[in-house]
Amino acid sequence: MDLMKSIAIAASGLRAQAGRMQVISENIANADSTATQPGGDPYRRKIVTFQSEMDRALGARLVALGTVRPDASDFQVKSEPGHPAADANGNVKYPNVNPLIEMADFRDAQRSYSANVNVINATRAMIARTLDILKS
Amino acid sequence: MPIPSVAANAYANVARLGAAGLGTAGTAAGVAGAADASSFGALLKDALGQVTEAGHRSDAQTRAMVAGKADMVDVVTAVSETEAAVETMVAVRNKVIEAYQSIMSMPI
Repeated sequence: MDLMKSIAIAASGLRAQAGRMQVISENIANADSTATQPGGDPYRRKIVTFQSEMDRALGARLVALGTVRPDASDFQVKSEPGHPAADANGNVKYPNVNPLIEMADFRDAQRSYSANVNVINATRAMIARTLDILKS
Repeated sequence: MPIPSVAANAYANVARLGAAGLGTAGTAAGVAGAADASSFGALLKDALGQVTEAGHRSDAQTRAMVAGKADMVDVVTAVSETEAAVETMVAVRNKVIEAYQSIMSMPI
């Protein structure tokens, strides 16, 4: 039945957004993680990608998390000579995580998740309405 | 997907039930009643078996979830599949029993 298919497709969207949320929370949690040795590289921000994949059994295109790639942008450099991770010039590299961007991303993930939940609810209502024909 | 098969089989069984009733309409009432009873029982047994299977699947998912091995999304979809299967089965059963009762209350 097509209605059960759309529930399965929306469920794949839920799974993908949950995976994205995991990466975003990793970025936020590690926003201040510096290197352990002097002059080393700190935590590098991760970016999720989504890809559409064909499910042969279902005959529909589901969404799945693609590879999680590192963000190649530059680290923030601050002058903190007393810091354990400071290099010879007293500079410390901080992660290239911008909390504002992460906030926007997680709002986006939240909204996409809600959209998929709404699809599931609407589909369930349609199944129930169809069964009502039999009950009346 | 258990739902399409459950629903399709249930409808097919109802159709067969109807066809059997029509086929035996000309024979003695007792024989027709016996044939109806056996196919109605088979229909219920078939539909129940498949719904129970869907229920087992959602049970297994819930147990895996409690053990921390399953995704919550999988549990929710399995349970809603079972719910739809049970509701379809109950609706078909009610309809069939209604038809059976209206036949039984027919004055002869």
